[in-house]
Amino acid sequence: MLGVFKMQNLKLEATSTSPEVDFQFSEHRLALRGESYPENAAAFFGPIVEALNGYLEQTQNQVIEVIIELTYFNSSSTKVLFNVFNMLNFAAASNTINLHWRYDEDDDTILEFGDDLHEDFPDINYIPESFAS
Amino acid sequence: MLPNHAPPPPQAATLLPRTALELKKSTIVASPELFSDDILRLFHEYPELDTIPVIEDTHPIGLINRHVFMNEMARPYVREIYGRKSCIAFMDKHPLIIEETTPIQELSFQALAAGQKALSDGFIIVRNGSYTGVGSGFDLVDAVTKLQAEKSRMVMESIEYASVIQRSFLRPSQRDLATHLPDHLLHWEPRDVVGGDFFVFRTFNDGYFIAIIDCTGHGVPGAFMTLIMASFLDRILQHDNPRDPAEVMTKMNRMIKGALAQDGDIHHDGSDDGMDTAFMWFNSAERLLTWASAKIPLFIVTPPTNNTASDAKIEQMNGERMGVGYRTTPMQHTWVNHSAHLAPGASVFVTTDGFIDQPGGKKRIAFGKKRLKNTLLEHHALALKDQGEHIMQTFRAYQAEQRRRDDVTFFGFRP
Repeated sequence: MLGVFKMQNLKLEATSTSPEVDFQFSEHRLALRGESYPENAAAFFGPIVEALNGYLEQTQNQVIEVIIELTYFNSSSTKVLFNVFNMLNFAAASNTINLHWRYDEDDDTILEFGDDLHEDFPDINYIPESFAS
Repeated sequence: MLPNHAPPPPQAATLLPRTALELKKSTIVASPELFSDDILRLFHEYPELDTIPVIEDTHPIGLINRHVFMNEMARPYVREIYGRKSCIAFMDKHPLIIEETTPIQELSFQALAAGQKALSDGFIIVRNGSYTGVGSGFDLVDAVTKLQAEKSRMVMESIEYASVIQRSFLRPSQRDLATHLPDHLLHWEPRDVVGGDFFVFRTFNDGYFIAIIDCTGHGVPGAFMTLIMASFLDRILQHDNPRDPAEVMTKMNRMIKGALAQDGDIHHDGSDDGMDTAFMWFNSAERLLTWASAKIPLFIVTPPTNNTASDAKIEQMNGERMGVGYRTTPMQHTWVNHSAHLAPGASVFVTTDGFIDQPGGKKRIAFGKKRLKNTLLEHHALALKDQGEHIMQTFRAYQAEQRRRDDVTFFGFRP
Protein backbone atom coordinates (compact mmCIF):
# COMPACT_ATOMS: atom_id res chain seq x y z
CA MET A 1 0.00 0.00 0.00
CA LEU A 2 1.33 3.38 -0.94
CA GLY A 3 1.46 6.37 1.33
CA VAL A 4 1.67 6.63 5.07
CA PHE A 5 -0.80 4.59 7.01
CA LYS A 6 -2.52 7.05 9.30
CA MET A 7 -5.03 4.82 11.04
CA GLN A 8 -4.54 4.71 14.82
CA ASN A 9 -4.49 1.23 16.27
CA LEU A 10 -7.27 0.62 18.74
CA LYS A 11 -6.73 -1.21 21.98
CA LEU A 12 -9.27 -1.50 24.81
CA GLU A 13 -8.81 -3.72 27.83
CA ALA A 14 -11.57 -6.18 28.64
CA THR A 15 -13.98 -5.39 31.47
CA SER A 16 -16.44 -7.77 33.12
CA THR A 17 -19.11 -6.74 30.61
CA SER A 18 -17.11 -5.77 27.52
CA PRO A 19 -14.51 -7.59 25.44
CA GLU A 20 -10.88 -6.83 24.84
CA VAL A 21 -10.62 -4.93 21.58
CA ASP A 22 -7.26 -5.20 19.83
CA PHE A 23 -7.43 -3.69 16.36
CA GLN A 24 -3.90 -3.54 14.94
CA PHE A 25 -4.87 -1.77 11.77
CA SER A 26 -1.21 -1.35 10.80
CA GLU A 27 -0.81 -5.14 10.95
CA HIS A 28 -4.25 -5.82 9.40
CA ARG A 29 -5.07 -7.84 12.45
CA LEU A 30 -8.33 -7.31 14.35
CA ALA A 31 -9.13 -9.22 17.53
CA LEU A 32 -12.07 -9.31 19.96
CA ARG A 33 -11.79 -11.48 23.06
CA GLY A 34 -13.91 -12.03 26.14
CA GLU A 35 -17.55 -11.37 26.89
CA SER A 36 -19.86 -8.69 25.62
CA TYR A 37 -22.95 -7.54 27.44
CA PRO A 38 -22.52 -3.81 28.07
CA GLU A 39 -25.64 -1.97 29.30
CA ASN A 40 -25.66 0.02 26.08
CA ALA A 41 -24.02 -1.97 23.30
CA ALA A 42 -24.59 0.74 20.70
CA ALA A 43 -22.72 3.27 22.85
CA PHE A 44 -19.85 0.90 23.59
CA PHE A 45 -19.35 -0.29 20.03
CA GLY A 46 -20.10 3.02 18.29
CA PRO A 47 -16.51 4.35 18.27
CA ILE A 48 -15.12 0.87 17.57
CA VAL A 49 -17.32 0.38 14.54
CA GLU A 50 -16.46 3.88 13.37
CA ALA A 51 -12.72 3.19 13.59
CA LEU A 52 -13.18 -0.10 11.76
CA ASN A 53 -15.19 1.60 9.07
CA GLY A 54 -12.47 4.24 8.60
CA TYR A 55 -9.88 1.50 8.30
CA LEU A 56 -11.84 -0.59 5.83
CA GLU A 57 -12.57 2.41 3.65
CA GLN A 58 -8.88 2.98 3.00
CA THR A 59 -7.78 -0.63 2.80
CA GLN A 60 -7.48 -2.64 -0.39
CA ASN A 61 -5.72 -5.79 -1.57
CA GLN A 62 -4.82 -6.81 1.96
CA VAL A 63 -5.15 -10.01 3.88
CA ILE A 64 -7.01 -9.05 7.03
CA GLU A 65 -6.90 -11.50 9.93
CA VAL A 66 -9.94 -11.24 12.18
CA ILE A 67 -9.72 -13.16 15.45
CA ILE A 68 -12.90 -13.54 17.42
CA GLU A 69 -12.78 -15.34 20.73
CA LEU A 70 -15.97 -14.44 22.54
CA THR A 71 -17.53 -16.67 25.16
CA TYR A 72 -20.72 -14.71 25.73
CA PHE A 73 -22.51 -11.88 23.97
CA ASN A 74 -26.01 -10.60 24.56
CA SER A 75 -28.56 -9.93 21.85
CA SER A 76 -27.72 -6.25 21.38
CA SER A 77 -24.02 -7.12 21.03
CA THR A 78 -25.06 -9.76 18.52
CA LYS A 79 -26.65 -7.08 16.40
CA VAL A 80 -23.47 -5.04 16.47
CA LEU A 81 -21.42 -8.10 15.55
CA PHE A 82 -23.67 -8.65 12.56
CA ASN A 83 -23.01 -5.08 11.47
CA VAL A 84 -19.30 -5.66 11.82
CA PHE A 85 -19.40 -8.86 9.77
CA ASN A 86 -21.55 -7.14 7.22
CA MET A 87 -18.85 -4.49 6.83
CA LEU A 88 -16.14 -7.16 6.58
CA ASN A 89 -18.17 -9.11 4.06
CA PHE A 90 -18.42 -5.98 1.97
CA ALA A 91 -14.70 -5.29 2.35
CA ALA A 92 -14.01 -8.85 1.20
CA ALA A 93 -14.73 -7.69 -2.35
CA SER A 94 -11.36 -5.91 -2.41
CA ASN A 95 -9.51 -7.74 0.40
CA THR A 96 -9.11 -11.23 1.76
CA ILE A 97 -10.85 -11.53 5.12
CA ASN A 98 -9.86 -14.50 7.25
CA LEU A 99 -12.21 -14.94 10.18
CA HIS A 100 -10.65 -17.06 12.91
CA TRP A 101 -13.70 -18.08 14.90
CA ARG A 102 -12.26 -19.40 18.13
CA TYR A 103 -14.38 -21.49 20.48
CA ASP A 104 -13.93 -23.93 23.29
CA GLU A 105 -14.17 -27.49 21.95
CA ASP A 106 -17.21 -28.07 24.20
CA ASP A 107 -18.95 -24.80 23.38
CA ASP A 108 -21.61 -25.82 20.86
CA THR A 109 -23.38 -22.46 21.31
CA ILE A 110 -20.48 -20.37 20.04
CA LEU A 111 -19.69 -22.82 17.24
CA GLU A 112 -23.29 -22.74 16.10
CA PHE A 113 -23.22 -18.95 16.03
CA GLY A 114 -20.07 -19.01 13.92
CA ASP A 115 -21.63 -21.50 11.50
CA ASP A 116 -24.62 -19.18 11.14
CA LEU A 117 -22.30 -16.27 10.42
CA HIS A 118 -20.61 -18.30 7.74
CA GLU A 119 -23.95 -18.91 6.10
CA ASP A 120 -24.83 -15.20 6.18
CA PHE A 121 -21.47 -13.79 5.12
CA PRO A 122 -20.09 -16.16 2.48
CA ASP A 123 -17.38 -13.78 1.25
CA ILE A 124 -15.52 -14.00 4.54
CA ASN A 125 -13.18 -16.98 4.87
CA TYR A 126 -14.61 -18.73 7.89
CA ILE A 127 -11.97 -20.58 9.86
CA PRO A 128 -13.43 -22.24 12.96
CA GLU A 129 -10.70 -22.96 15.49
CA SER A 130 -11.53 -25.02 18.53
CA PHE A 131 -9.31 -24.99 21.53
CA ALA A 132 -9.13 -27.16 24.62
CA SER A 133 -9.21 -25.50 27.99
CA MET B 1 -42.51 -19.97 39.77
CA LEU B 2 -43.26 -16.43 40.70
CA PRO B 3 -42.43 -15.30 44.21
CA ASN B 4 -45.41 -13.33 45.31
CA HIS B 5 -43.96 -10.44 47.21
CA ALA B 6 -45.68 -7.14 46.87
CA PRO B 7 -43.83 -4.11 48.14
CA PRO B 8 -46.03 -1.12 48.96
CA PRO B 9 -46.41 1.59 46.32
CA PRO B 10 -43.69 4.24 46.45
CA GLN B 11 -44.19 6.63 49.35
CA ALA B 12 -43.46 10.31 49.48
CA ALA B 13 -39.90 10.87 50.60
CA THR B 14 -39.27 11.57 54.25
CA LEU B 15 -38.26 15.14 54.96
CA LEU B 16 -34.70 15.69 53.90
CA PRO B 17 -32.94 19.01 53.42
CA ARG B 18 -33.70 20.26 49.92
CA THR B 19 -32.09 23.71 50.01
CA ALA B 20 -29.28 25.58 51.74
CA LEU B 21 -31.86 27.13 54.08
CA GLU B 22 -32.32 23.80 55.81
CA LEU B 23 -28.60 23.51 56.58
CA LYS B 24 -28.51 26.99 58.09
CA LYS B 25 -27.14 27.52 61.60
CA SER B 26 -26.69 30.72 63.50
CA THR B 27 -23.29 31.63 64.81
CA ILE B 28 -21.30 34.49 66.27
CA VAL B 29 -20.50 37.11 63.67
CA ALA B 30 -18.04 39.99 63.63
CA SER B 31 -18.28 43.45 62.13
CA PRO B 32 -15.20 44.89 60.39
CA GLU B 33 -14.92 47.43 63.21
CA LEU B 34 -13.86 44.65 65.58
CA PHE B 35 -10.12 44.38 66.20
CA SER B 36 -8.14 41.23 65.71
CA ASP B 37 -7.68 41.12 69.50
CA ASP B 38 -11.47 40.89 69.82
CA ILE B 39 -11.52 37.94 67.47
CA LEU B 40 -8.72 36.29 69.46
CA ARG B 41 -10.81 36.68 72.60
CA LEU B 42 -13.87 35.24 70.89
CA PHE B 43 -11.96 32.18 69.72
CA HIS B 44 -10.65 31.68 73.28
CA GLU B 45 -14.07 32.15 74.77
CA TYR B 46 -15.83 29.80 72.32
CA PRO B 47 -13.54 26.84 71.68
CA GLU B 48 -16.15 25.11 69.48
CA LEU B 49 -16.13 28.03 67.08
CA ASP B 50 -14.19 27.19 63.90
CA THR B 51 -15.10 30.19 61.80
CA ILE B 52 -16.46 33.69 62.28
CA PRO B 53 -18.23 35.44 59.40
CA VAL B 54 -17.49 39.13 59.02
CA ILE B 55 -20.57 41.19 58.20
CA GLU B 56 -20.62 44.77 57.00
CA ASP B 57 -24.12 46.28 57.32
CA THR B 58 -25.98 43.12 56.40
CA HIS B 59 -23.54 41.78 53.82
CA PRO B 60 -20.94 39.10 54.42
CA ILE B 61 -17.49 40.30 53.38
CA GLY B 62 -15.35 37.44 54.60
CA LEU B 63 -14.83 34.44 56.84
CA ILE B 64 -12.23 34.11 59.56
CA ASN B 65 -10.90 30.60 60.00
CA ARG B 66 -9.70 29.77 63.52
CA HIS B 67 -6.55 27.90 62.49
CA VAL B 68 -5.45 30.39 59.87
CA PHE B 69 -6.13 33.29 62.24
CA MET B 70 -4.39 31.72 65.24
CA ASN B 71 -1.35 30.81 63.19
CA GLU B 72 -1.05 34.36 61.88
CA MET B 73 -1.46 35.90 65.32
CA ALA B 74 1.16 33.56 66.79
CA ARG B 75 3.86 34.86 64.46
CA PRO B 76 6.36 37.35 65.97
CA TYR B 77 5.09 40.96 66.27
CA VAL B 78 1.87 40.25 64.38
CA ARG B 79 -0.26 40.70 67.43
CA GLU B 80 1.55 43.92 68.25
CA ILE B 81 1.02 45.26 64.73
CA TYR B 82 -2.47 43.95 63.98
CA GLY B 83 -4.01 43.42 67.39
CA ARG B 84 -5.63 46.86 67.47
CA LYS B 85 -6.52 46.88 63.79
CA SER B 86 -9.62 45.67 61.92
CA CYS B 87 -10.17 41.94 62.04
CA ILE B 88 -10.43 41.81 58.24
CA ALA B 89 -6.64 41.51 57.99
CA PHE B 90 -6.69 37.73 58.33
CA MET B 91 -10.07 36.80 56.95
CA ASP B 92 -10.72 34.86 53.76
CA LYS B 93 -12.11 37.55 51.49
CA HIS B 94 -13.71 35.04 49.11
CA PRO B 95 -15.71 32.59 51.17
CA LEU B 96 -18.40 30.54 49.52
CA ILE B 97 -21.64 32.54 49.76
CA ILE B 98 -24.86 30.73 49.03
CA GLU B 99 -28.43 31.96 48.65
CA GLU B 100 -30.88 30.21 50.98
CA THR B 101 -32.94 28.91 48.09
CA THR B 102 -30.02 27.07 46.46
CA PRO B 103 -30.89 23.37 46.09
CA ILE B 104 -28.56 21.00 47.95
CA GLN B 105 -27.29 19.42 44.77
CA GLU B 106 -26.32 22.75 43.23
CA LEU B 107 -24.78 23.77 46.55
CA SER B 108 -22.64 20.64 46.51
CA PHE B 109 -21.41 21.43 42.99
CA GLN B 110 -20.51 24.98 44.06
CA ALA B 111 -18.79 23.67 47.18
CA LEU B 112 -16.73 21.26 45.09
CA ALA B 113 -15.83 24.03 42.66
CA ALA B 114 -14.73 26.20 45.60
CA GLY B 115 -12.27 23.51 46.60
CA GLN B 116 -11.21 22.20 49.99
CA LYS B 117 -12.08 25.32 51.97
CA ALA B 118 -15.82 25.03 51.42
CA LEU B 119 -15.77 21.64 53.11
CA SER B 120 -13.48 22.64 55.96
CA ASP B 121 -14.72 26.23 56.58
CA GLY B 122 -18.28 25.73 55.48
CA PHE B 123 -20.17 28.49 53.71
CA ILE B 124 -22.12 31.63 54.43
CA ILE B 125 -25.85 31.64 53.78
CA VAL B 126 -27.63 34.79 52.58
CA ARG B 127 -31.12 35.90 51.62
CA ASN B 128 -31.01 38.37 48.74
CA GLY B 129 -27.39 39.00 49.59
CA SER B 130 -28.00 39.68 53.30
CA TYR B 131 -26.38 37.41 55.88
CA THR B 132 -28.70 34.94 57.58
CA GLY B 133 -26.42 32.18 58.84
CA VAL B 134 -23.73 29.61 58.05
CA GLY B 135 -23.64 26.03 56.87
CA SER B 136 -20.99 23.45 57.67
CA GLY B 137 -19.17 21.20 55.21
CA PHE B 138 -20.04 18.19 57.35
CA ASP B 139 -23.77 18.95 57.23
CA LEU B 140 -23.56 19.39 53.48
CA VAL B 141 -21.83 16.02 52.95
CA ASP B 142 -24.35 14.44 55.30
CA ALA B 143 -27.29 15.93 53.38
CA VAL B 144 -25.90 14.94 49.97
CA THR B 145 -25.28 11.38 51.13
CA LYS B 146 -28.79 11.05 52.53
CA LEU B 147 -30.25 12.58 49.41
CA GLN B 148 -28.44 10.08 47.20
CA ALA B 149 -29.52 7.18 49.39
CA GLU B 150 -33.06 8.49 49.27
CA LYS B 151 -32.98 8.84 45.50
CA SER B 152 -31.72 5.31 44.92
CA ARG B 153 -34.27 3.99 47.43
CA MET B 154 -37.03 5.73 45.49
CA VAL B 155 -35.77 4.33 42.20
CA MET B 156 -35.62 0.83 43.68
CA GLU B 157 -39.08 1.18 45.18
CA SER B 158 -40.50 2.31 41.89
CA ILE B 159 -38.84 -0.61 40.08
CA GLU B 160 -40.15 -2.99 42.70
CA TYR B 161 -43.61 -1.65 42.16
CA ALA B 162 -43.12 -2.00 38.41
CA SER B 163 -42.32 -5.62 39.15
CA VAL B 164 -45.70 -6.00 40.88
CA ILE B 165 -47.36 -4.72 37.71
CA GLN B 166 -45.31 -6.98 35.46
CA ARG B 167 -46.09 -10.00 37.61
CA SER B 168 -49.78 -9.13 37.60
CA PHE B 169 -49.66 -9.17 33.82
CA LEU B 170 -48.40 -12.76 33.96
CA ARG B 171 -51.00 -13.93 36.45
CA PRO B 172 -53.97 -14.64 34.09
CA SER B 173 -51.69 -16.83 31.97
CA GLN B 174 -50.49 -18.71 35.02
CA ARG B 175 -54.00 -19.21 36.31
CA ASP B 176 -55.27 -20.53 32.97
CA LEU B 177 -52.24 -22.75 32.61
CA ALA B 178 -52.92 -24.31 36.00
CA THR B 179 -56.52 -25.02 34.96
CA HIS B 180 -55.99 -26.24 31.42
CA LEU B 181 -52.49 -27.69 31.33
CA PRO B 182 -51.86 -28.89 34.87
CA ASP B 183 -48.78 -30.87 33.83
CA HIS B 184 -46.56 -27.91 33.02
CA LEU B 185 -43.58 -26.00 34.29
CA LEU B 186 -42.97 -22.29 34.08
CA HIS B 187 -39.94 -20.51 35.44
CA TRP B 188 -39.87 -16.79 34.84
CA GLU B 189 -36.77 -15.24 36.33
CA PRO B 190 -35.87 -11.70 35.33
CA ARG B 191 -32.17 -11.05 35.82
CA ASP B 192 -33.04 -7.88 37.70
CA VAL B 193 -36.27 -7.03 39.50
CA VAL B 194 -38.15 -6.61 36.24
CA GLY B 195 -37.20 -8.05 32.87
CA GLY B 196 -37.66 -8.38 29.15
CA ASP B 197 -38.93 -11.96 29.09
CA PHE B 198 -42.62 -12.62 28.93
CA PHE B 199 -45.08 -15.43 28.66
CA VAL B 200 -48.64 -15.59 27.36
CA PHE B 201 -51.15 -18.42 27.58
CA ARG B 202 -54.65 -18.02 26.17
CA THR B 203 -57.39 -20.61 25.94
CA PHE B 204 -59.87 -20.99 23.10
CA ASN B 205 -62.66 -23.53 22.69
CA ASP B 206 -60.54 -25.84 20.53
CA GLY B 207 -57.07 -25.29 21.90
CA TYR B 208 -54.43 -23.05 23.43
CA PHE B 209 -52.25 -20.25 22.21
CA ILE B 210 -48.87 -20.05 23.91
CA ALA B 211 -46.17 -17.43 23.45
CA ILE B 212 -42.74 -17.23 24.99
CA ILE B 213 -41.20 -13.84 24.40
CA ASP B 214 -37.69 -12.46 24.86
CA CYS B 215 -37.68 -8.72 24.21
CA THR B 216 -34.47 -6.82 23.56
CA GLY B 217 -32.80 -5.73 26.71
CA HIS B 218 -33.59 -6.52 30.28
CA GLY B 219 -34.40 -4.50 33.37
CA VAL B 220 -36.69 -1.50 32.98
CA PRO B 221 -36.35 -1.04 29.19
CA GLY B 222 -36.94 -4.77 28.72
CA ALA B 223 -40.03 -4.60 30.91
CA PHE B 224 -41.38 -1.67 28.88
CA MET B 225 -41.02 -3.80 25.79
CA THR B 226 -42.86 -6.75 27.33
CA LEU B 227 -45.89 -4.57 28.03
CA ILE B 228 -45.90 -3.24 24.47
CA MET B 229 -45.56 -6.75 23.06
CA ALA B 230 -48.23 -8.19 25.36
CA SER B 231 -50.75 -5.55 24.38
CA PHE B 232 -50.01 -5.96 20.66
CA LEU B 233 -50.36 -9.70 20.98
CA ASP B 234 -53.66 -9.35 22.83
CA ARG B 235 -54.97 -7.05 20.15
CA ILE B 236 -54.00 -9.46 17.38
CA LEU B 237 -55.43 -12.47 19.21
CA GLN B 238 -58.76 -10.66 19.57
CA HIS B 239 -59.14 -10.18 15.84
CA ASP B 240 -57.04 -12.81 14.19
CA ASN B 241 -56.73 -16.52 14.09
CA PRO B 242 -54.67 -17.90 16.97
CA ARG B 243 -54.55 -21.24 15.11
CA ASP B 244 -52.07 -19.69 12.69
CA PRO B 245 -49.05 -18.68 14.83
CA ALA B 246 -46.96 -17.72 11.79
CA GLU B 247 -49.59 -15.23 10.71
CA VAL B 248 -49.82 -13.82 14.25
CA MET B 249 -46.04 -13.39 14.25
CA THR B 250 -46.05 -11.76 10.84
CA LYS B 251 -48.68 -9.29 12.04
CA MET B 252 -46.73 -8.61 15.23
CA ASN B 253 -43.66 -7.76 13.18
CA ARG B 254 -45.54 -5.15 11.19
CA MET B 255 -47.19 -3.73 14.25
CA ILE B 256 -43.94 -3.37 16.19
CA LYS B 257 -42.04 -1.87 13.29
CA GLY B 258 -44.83 0.61 12.69
CA ALA B 259 -45.29 1.57 16.33
CA LEU B 260 -41.59 2.03 17.07
CA ALA B 261 -40.95 3.69 13.70
CA GLN B 262 -38.50 0.93 12.83
CA ASP B 263 -39.78 0.71 9.32
CA GLY B 264 -37.80 3.41 7.59
CA ASP B 265 -34.26 4.62 7.25
CA ILE B 266 -31.66 3.80 9.81
CA HIS B 267 -31.47 6.63 12.30
CA HIS B 268 -28.50 6.39 14.56
CA ASP B 269 -30.32 7.23 17.74
CA GLY B 270 -33.63 5.61 16.86
CA SER B 271 -34.68 2.40 18.52
CA ASP B 272 -33.92 -1.02 17.14
CA ASP B 273 -35.94 -3.20 19.41
CA GLY B 274 -37.91 -6.33 18.92
CA MET B 275 -38.19 -9.83 20.25
CA ASP B 276 -37.14 -13.41 19.86
CA THR B 277 -40.21 -15.50 20.31
CA ALA B 278 -42.01 -18.78 19.79
CA PHE B 279 -45.77 -18.81 19.18
CA MET B 280 -47.57 -22.11 19.52
CA TRP B 281 -51.07 -23.31 18.88
CA PHE B 282 -52.10 -26.60 20.39
CA ASN B 283 -55.18 -28.28 19.03
CA SER B 284 -56.27 -30.44 21.95
CA ALA B 285 -58.61 -32.82 20.09
CA GLU B 286 -56.01 -33.76 17.48
CA ARG B 287 -53.02 -33.27 19.79
CA LEU B 288 -51.53 -31.23 16.98
CA LEU B 289 -48.94 -28.63 17.83
CA THR B 290 -48.41 -25.82 15.31
CA TRP B 291 -45.68 -23.29 15.90
CA ALA B 292 -43.73 -20.47 14.38
CA SER B 293 -40.49 -19.31 15.87
CA ALA B 294 -38.11 -16.41 15.71
CA LYS B 295 -34.82 -17.69 17.09
CA ILE B 296 -36.30 -19.73 19.92
CA PRO B 297 -35.81 -23.48 19.60
CA LEU B 298 -38.47 -26.01 20.56
CA PHE B 299 -37.69 -29.34 22.13
CA ILE B 300 -40.13 -32.23 21.98
CA VAL B 301 -39.47 -35.18 24.25
CA THR B 302 -41.24 -38.41 23.37
CA PRO B 303 -41.20 -41.22 25.92
CA PRO B 304 -40.36 -44.78 24.90
CA THR B 305 -43.40 -46.72 23.67
CA ASN B 306 -44.83 -49.34 25.99
CA ASN B 307 -42.81 -52.47 26.64
CA THR B 308 -39.83 -51.45 24.61
CA ALA B 309 -36.41 -50.95 25.99
CA SER B 310 -35.75 -47.94 23.79
CA ASP B 311 -34.87 -44.62 25.33
CA ALA B 312 -36.91 -41.47 25.33
CA LYS B 313 -36.34 -39.40 22.24
CA ILE B 314 -35.70 -35.67 22.01
CA GLU B 315 -36.09 -33.55 18.91
CA GLN B 316 -34.78 -30.04 18.55
CA MET B 317 -36.54 -27.67 16.18
CA ASN B 318 -34.61 -24.45 15.62
CA GLY B 319 -36.50 -21.25 15.03
CA GLU B 320 -36.08 -19.04 12.02
CA ARG B 321 -33.12 -16.75 12.41
CA MET B 322 -35.15 -13.60 11.84
CA GLY B 323 -36.14 -11.67 14.97
CA VAL B 324 -39.54 -9.97 15.18
CA GLY B 325 -39.89 -6.19 14.81
CA TYR B 326 -36.23 -5.25 14.45
CA ARG B 327 -35.11 -2.59 12.04
CA THR B 328 -33.22 -5.20 10.02
CA THR B 329 -36.29 -7.43 9.78
CA PRO B 330 -38.20 -6.59 6.60
CA MET B 331 -41.74 -5.26 7.00
CA GLN B 332 -42.97 -7.92 4.60
CA HIS B 333 -41.21 -10.84 6.24
CA THR B 334 -43.49 -13.80 6.81
CA TRP B 335 -42.85 -16.62 9.22
CA VAL B 336 -43.69 -20.24 8.50
CA ASN B 337 -45.74 -22.68 10.52
CA HIS B 338 -44.38 -26.04 11.54
CA SER B 339 -46.43 -28.76 13.11
CA ALA B 340 -46.09 -32.07 14.90
CA HIS B 341 -48.48 -34.59 16.40
CA LEU B 342 -47.69 -35.10 20.02
CA ALA B 343 -47.55 -38.76 20.95
CA PRO B 344 -49.17 -39.70 24.26
CA GLY B 345 -46.86 -38.61 27.07
CA ALA B 346 -44.82 -36.32 24.82
CA SER B 347 -43.78 -32.98 26.26
CA VAL B 348 -42.76 -29.70 24.70
CA PHE B 349 -40.11 -27.31 26.06
CA VAL B 350 -39.08 -23.81 25.11
CA THR B 351 -36.64 -21.47 26.77
CA THR B 352 -35.18 -18.04 26.15
CA ASP B 353 -31.50 -17.63 25.34
CA GLY B 354 -30.86 -16.45 28.90
CA PHE B 355 -30.91 -20.13 29.82
CA ILE B 356 -28.99 -21.60 26.89
CA ASP B 357 -26.33 -18.88 26.73
CA GLN B 358 -25.63 -18.55 30.47
CA PRO B 359 -21.92 -19.13 31.04
CA GLY B 360 -20.85 -21.41 33.84
CA GLY B 361 -19.11 -24.67 34.63
CA LYS B 362 -15.37 -25.07 34.91
CA LYS B 363 -14.80 -23.60 31.47
CA ARG B 364 -17.18 -20.69 31.86
CA ILE B 365 -18.86 -21.48 28.60
CA ALA B 366 -22.55 -21.40 27.72
CA PHE B 367 -24.92 -23.97 29.22
CA GLY B 368 -25.76 -24.89 25.64
CA LYS B 369 -28.45 -26.94 23.95
CA LYS B 370 -26.60 -30.23 24.27
CA ARG B 371 -26.53 -29.98 28.05
CA LEU B 372 -30.16 -28.87 28.04
CA LYS B 373 -31.23 -31.89 25.98
CA ASN B 374 -29.34 -34.26 28.25
CA THR B 375 -30.99 -32.68 31.28
CA LEU B 376 -34.44 -33.02 29.71
CA LEU B 377 -33.87 -36.67 28.84
CA GLU B 378 -32.53 -37.42 32.28
CA HIS B 379 -35.70 -36.31 34.02
CA HIS B 380 -38.32 -36.96 31.31
CA ALA B 381 -40.32 -39.45 33.35
CA LEU B 382 -41.12 -37.01 36.14
CA ALA B 383 -44.08 -34.69 36.42
CA LEU B 384 -43.15 -31.45 34.66
CA LYS B 385 -43.23 -29.46 37.85
CA ASP B 386 -40.59 -31.78 39.31
CA GLN B 387 -38.62 -31.73 36.06
CA GLY B 388 -38.63 -27.95 36.38
CA GLU B 389 -37.07 -28.19 39.83
CA HIS B 390 -34.34 -30.48 38.51
CA ILE B 391 -33.71 -28.37 35.43
CA MET B 392 -33.39 -25.14 37.39
CA GLN B 393 -31.24 -26.86 39.99
CA THR B 394 -28.91 -28.12 37.26
CA PHE B 395 -28.89 -24.65 35.74
CA ARG B 396 -28.03 -22.94 39.03
CA ALA B 397 -25.34 -25.46 39.83
CA TYR B 398 -23.86 -24.86 36.38
CA GLN B 399 -24.07 -21.09 36.72
CA ALA B 400 -22.46 -21.39 40.18
CA GLU B 401 -20.74 -18.13 41.08
CA GLN B 402 -21.08 -16.64 37.59
CA ARG B 403 -23.32 -13.61 37.26
CA ARG B 404 -26.70 -14.15 35.67
CA ARG B 405 -26.29 -12.61 32.21
CA ASP B 406 -29.88 -12.31 31.05
CA ASP B 407 -33.51 -12.93 31.92
CA VAL B 408 -34.47 -16.58 31.95
CA THR B 409 -37.81 -18.11 31.04
CA PHE B 410 -38.31 -21.83 30.85
CA PHE B 411 -41.60 -23.36 29.87
CA GLY B 412 -42.71 -26.91 29.29
CA PHE B 413 -46.01 -28.74 29.04
CA ARG B 414 -47.28 -32.28 28.61
CA PRO B 415 -50.87 -32.18 27.37
